[in-house]
Amino acid sequence: MRLAVPRMGNLALIIRDLAVRFDLDYVETPPFSENTVRIGAALAPEFACLPLKAVLGNFVEVVENGADTLVTSGGHGPCRFGYYSEIQRRILEREGVEFRMLVLEPITTSLRAFYNSLRELIPREKASLPALFRELKQALDKMVAFDVLDKRAMALRGLEVVPGAVDAALAEARGMMIGAFTAKEIREARCEAEARLRGVRVDTSRSHLKIGIVGEIFVVLEPFFNFDIERWLGRRGAVVERATSISDRIYPRGRHPVFGYDEDSVAAAARPFLNHKIGGDGLLSVGATVIYARRGFDAVVHLLPFTCMPEVIAKGILGRVSSESGLPVLSLSIDEQTGRAGVETRLEALMDLAWSNRRAKERSAEMGVVR
Amino acid sequence: MRIGLPRALLFHHYGECWSSFLSDLGFEPVISENTTGDTVIRGTVVADNEACLPVKVFAGHLLELSELSDAILVPRVVSQQRGMKACPKYLGLPDLARSMDSAMPPVLAPVMDLGATWNRWAREWYEIAVKLGVGAEKASHAVRKMVSSLRAGITETVEPTPSDFRVGVAGHLYNVHDHRVSLGLLDRIREMGAEPLTVEQVPRRLVRRELKALPRKIKWEFENRIVGAVLHWNRAGDVAGVIYLNSFACGPGSMIGALIDDELSREGSVPLMTITLDEHSGETGMVTRIEAFLDMLRRSRIDTAPGARDKRGGGGE
Repeated sequence: MRLAVPRMGNLALIIRDLAVRFDLDYVETPPFSENTVRIGAALAPEFACLPLKAVLGNFVEVVENGADTLVTSGGHGPCRFGYYSEIQRRILEREGVEFRMLVLEPITTSLRAFYNSLRELIPREKASLPALFRELKQALDKMVAFDVLDKRAMALRGLEVVPGAVDAALAEARGMMIGAFTAKEIREARCEAEARLRGVRVDTSRSHLKIGIVGEIFVVLEPFFNFDIERWLGRRGAVVERATSISDRIYPRGRHPVFGYDEDSVAAAARPFLNHKIGGDGLLSVGATVIYARRGFDAVVHLLPFTCMPEVIAKGILGRVSSESGLPVLSLSIDEQTGRAGVETRLEALMDLAWSNRRAKERSAEMGVVR
Repeated sequence: MRIGLPRALLFHHYGECWSSFLSDLGFEPVISENTTGDTVIRGTVVADNEACLPVKVFAGHLLELSELSDAILVPRVVSQQRGMKACPKYLGLPDLARSMDSAMPPVLAPVMDLGATWNRWAREWYEIAVKLGVGAEKASHAVRKMVSSLRAGITETVEPTPSDFRVGVAGHLYNVHDHRVSLGLLDRIREMGAEPLTVEQVPRRLVRRELKALPRKIKWEFENRIVGAVLHWNRAGDVAGVIYLNSFACGPGSMIGALIDDELSREGSVPLMTITLDEHSGETGMVTRIEAFLDMLRRSRIDTAPGARDKRGGGGE
């Protein structure tokens, strides 16, 4: 059994970790490329969203590279993500691809189904129940550490004195984390890695924009599809924060160790505008935007795949959030035909708008002093 | 007090229950007129540009009502059956309605969750009624009446008219039964000499039986119905062909579209045609496609009918 897992942000790092922990035979999924998207878009239903198409292309590529078991996640929410695995399986079978698909149902759907499919990957001989639990907990801690490093890097990138210093430090910090496996190692590596990032020289006196990124997890986390928006904004001197991360999504009991606001406080923030879960990351997008507005951010970028069900609803509601709070929100819907130039032009316009808002605010503050 | 009910989306399922609830409370239900071209245009302007066609139509109805009513009832339908989920647009619909137009009358958004026991959501309806000044007894009576009528089931199975040339029309009720949105599809099919069969004419029992065979359960209630009906038509041979009517950017629709496509691509299945509607869809284009589809069905019927070869004779073609 040679398995493969689709790509999404830091997921690749943690899959590598799990493969070492449980001695799994796995094929590294190649990074997304134009070729991946072309394969996926040709096979997938026309109106399916980008993640389905991209992951489908990824699956075809890994099977060519020798994988025979495709691991993917199920789901039970209102979002169509829960039905991906079935559609992808049918399409690949129709194309004559030989594989087995293993669907990991979320724990919240059925603990038994989750456990059983997990045991297919990691049989009892490899890890007893306590060992399995312990190792997964450690992997989760490591995941959180990776996501926190990302968060720190985003906050520093816009202020770095030497261009590229933060990215170099991030690469080193990640390297420190990769080799850590036991709880103690992870704790120590995380301290060391965060210290490495803190060591980057930054210019805090530089005036900068604070920009939040919200939206659907796949396009938010995959630099290939969001045109590496974090670095793009960082290079232009913006301090960036992202509301979505894998650890927050899978962390038990609705706690969000990376974003810092748990599910309940996000829901409470969203309540005046959206009073119900709408599946996917819809409620988080609205709630996080409200939180960013309260925290005095200058702009929010909302990323969504074209025709994404929950995010299209969120997008309609974000218009009201924006007009009532005065926080500019740019919704970018992304599909396989989205071009870099179009996205960058709109981001530039957003930054210009945010700067002119900032100056207007400063001017009125000065006038207030004179009066 | 006049309370508006937009004739769109789930109104086509639960409209009667909702409007009799309002009259029981002593309010005047104002139901928007049938969709017109103008409704679609006005809705398209205020709704989000990426929203699916039914949401845009809904927005058009809202605008129409905003001048005619003192409040608008947009229930938040969380699920239509136990274990089922609703499409995100139903979950966020009241909030979406509030963010469409700031000059709108207040939106009343009680939760309706037919998948849960009624005491978990019926209270919201009661509270709204009381807040609007209805007496407690009258309000609780109206709520109880509505709950029992909802539980009794809304869409009665209509006996299909007998015909030997039937075409299955699979799609959401709010598209298929809206004359403007579907561009008069059902009438067109009748004019062309075939009898359309719609999803709600397939008994639930048969739908459930077909769905059991699916390897992965579909979690959206209405999509379940559509898939089950199509599979039933296909197996029973009730119809000569199936037209799948989908709206542009419909999320669940894109998934079950692929599923139906896969199921009906097997040997011996009935022919399938997919029509995707959006606000730009023109009647002529659709009529041409239906004509071609029906012609093809007729021809294949003649070819496969017993004794077809004798009738056609020697080199008649």
